[in-house]
Amino acid sequence: MIQLQHISHTFKIGKKGNERGVPVLKDISFNINDGEIISIVGKSGSGKSTLLNVIAGFLKPETGSIHMNGKETTNFTEAEHAKFRMVNTGFIFQNFQLMPGLTAKENIELPLKIKGVPKQSRKQHVQEILQKVELEKVADHYPNELSGGQQQRVCIARALVTNPPIILADEPTGSLDSETEQEILQLIKQLNVQMGITFVIITHDEEVATIANRTFRMHDGVLKEVETVAI
Amino acid sequence: MLFKDQIDFVRQHVKKNRMRIFTTVLATTMGCAFLIVLASIAFGLQGTMKEEILSDSAVTKIEVYSNDEEKLDEKAIRSIPNVQAIVNKSNIQASAFPTVKFENRSGNSEISFSNFEQAKKAKLKLSQGTYPSKKNEVIVGYNLGQNLLTKQELKAMEKEDDTTKEKENKRGLQQSLLGKEITVAFQTEDDKKTKTRNYKVVGIGEKPVKEWLTDSTIQMDEAMKPIVLRDYNKVADQKLKEKDFYYVSHAVYATDLEAVKGILKKLKSMHLSVYSVTEQLDQLNVFFLALKIGLIFVGTIAVLIASIGIYNTMTMAVTERIREIGVMKAIGAGPRLVQRLFVMESAYIGILGTVLAILISYIISFASNLLLPKILEAVMPESGIGELGIRFSTIPWELVLIASAISIGVAILSGWRPARKATKIDVIQALRQD
Ligand SMILES: Nc1ncnc2c1ncn2[C@@H]1O[C@H](COP(=O)(O)OP(=O)(O)O)[C@@H](O)[C@H]1O
Ligand SMILES: [Mg+2]
Repeated sequence: MIQLQHISHTFKIGKKGNERGVPVLKDISFNINDGEIISIVGKSGSGKSTLLNVIAGFLKPETGSIHMNGKETTNFTEAEHAKFRMVNTGFIFQNFQLMPGLTAKENIELPLKIKGVPKQSRKQHVQEILQKVELEKVADHYPNELSGGQQQRVCIARALVTNPPIILADEPTGSLDSETEQEILQLIKQLNVQMGITFVIITHDEEVATIANRTFRMHDGVLKEVETVAI
Repeated sequence: MLFKDQIDFVRQHVKKNRMRIFTTVLATTMGCAFLIVLASIAFGLQGTMKEEILSDSAVTKIEVYSNDEEKLDEKAIRSIPNVQAIVNKSNIQASAFPTVKFENRSGNSEISFSNFEQAKKAKLKLSQGTYPSKKNEVIVGYNLGQNLLTKQELKAMEKEDDTTKEKENKRGLQQSLLGKEITVAFQTEDDKKTKTRNYKVVGIGEKPVKEWLTDSTIQMDEAMKPIVLRDYNKVADQKLKEKDFYYVSHAVYATDLEAVKGILKKLKSMHLSVYSVTEQLDQLNVFFLALKIGLIFVGTIAVLIASIGIYNTMTMAVTERIREIGVMKAIGAGPRLVQRLFVMESAYIGILGTVLAILISYIISFASNLLLPKILEAVMPESGIGELGIRFSTIPWELVLIASAISIGVAILSGWRPARKATKIDVIQALRQD
């Protein structure tokens, strides 16, 4: 479970001595249950990415606290965050963020390498994941030899490979056409159902909300839950 | 991350930037090779000089001089632990010139007197025969026979000029003097001749260590000292006392090389002047230690200059890979891993450069030892440098170790700051880059 309590954050912009505060997150509190798909929708610039960065530990909020899986992560050091992420959190990025010098397979293998998993076991894991995201045929392709949808599958596979209970996704379909978008959304839904992974999906695209259990709307740094009828 | 994977990771990056890494490695190699070759000169010359010193004198020998006129307290010296023997040598300092005769040959020599039972105890070596046990037995120098010439040979020699050296070897006595009887008489300053006495040659001294040295001395037993002096005083106008006729020197022999230091200390505390090759070696070692440190210091400057290249290369590597580092961090790489990967990369450059430098240094060292004497010989033919066996450069394992430590250490240090910079990269900023 992820718990956010009274999260507020203000960016300081402008030159030193002439700084101006821009409040981006305003007293945000909400819970995400295990196995849920949560979507956070909102206009560009409303503070969605900032909120996700706070959850991920990339950004320390000015006030408020975050608990993930029963642990307070708010005041983690960078090393502690890294360790926590390695076990608990996977990431999906809008622009995929694949290593251009590594093949699809090697990209997926990377988190396992960082984690220190021995080669034999790595191979096995990667093979399983490749099947799951249907990438066996292009496993040895480099990112620039893959379509957008395939790249996003690689990115998802990379997030999945360490078996994290939580995956955070920032605009996962933002760079895809609507047909591919549907494919990816169905894949996410499938992984959620099959493996019980919690997804936090951030998007400006209302379509994503169709696979979410709950949807929140971000507006000028304020988060409100949208009442939905269960599908 | 497993260590093997870390190395793989580093090697992948090195491969990707082959050209840039190569030039950096080249600079490191040059710096490190410069350091090794420069310092190897000190090691080489030290080795040559040490051999030179050790080759022509006994390392366990300590020459002792009493400061005032009084006699040396042999008893006290003998009681110092690890003293093997005290060998006295008396040289004639008055003008009494010996003439040696054997059959129809004659020649000049130098006479000294020794206590042979001590010399035997000191295990001073002979090339042939044994130490004398009777008064009329002597040891002659290795080259004495060659110096004994017939009248014809003497005449022939006076006619020749100095340049015809080849014939010299055929001149003089060809057979060994061992077991032969020789006669010795002295001539005073005013051309008077002492009684001729017979001596039996029972031992022949060692061959001189250097080609150009000759040894045609005669060593007699100490018991002959008063007899020779009496012979002299019988004919000489000016009668001399023993003290004026002889000059006595003393050599203390230690049981082994390790004992020399302790004995030297004791002797000095007895207010005696001492001289030992080991002291000369100590001085030599101090001098060369200073030289080595100096040269290594100069060489290190070259390595430091090369390190600027490593610093630049690593800084560039970090800047280029900001996005990559951001992703790595996002998927679980901690700051320590990030730092390690970059430090390893600069260490990789350092190690590669050092290994190449060691190889090259050995080649240069070998080649210069081979070629330099030949070149010098060609430039200065009379100097005889080629035959001296000078080693200009030696690379012992200590030097390899020191140079490697300096060079790899400097490489790691210069990669340290860029690596720190990599750990400080902000994930959000890095992922925003495109
Ligand atoms: N590092 C930063 N410094 C200053 N302002 C920032 C920074 N990051 C984001 N912002 C501002 O915060 C607001 C929210 O940004 P973001 O969370 O990226 O919005 P979204 O993801 O919803 O489009 C924007 O107005 C943006 O300009
Ligand atoms: Mg955003």
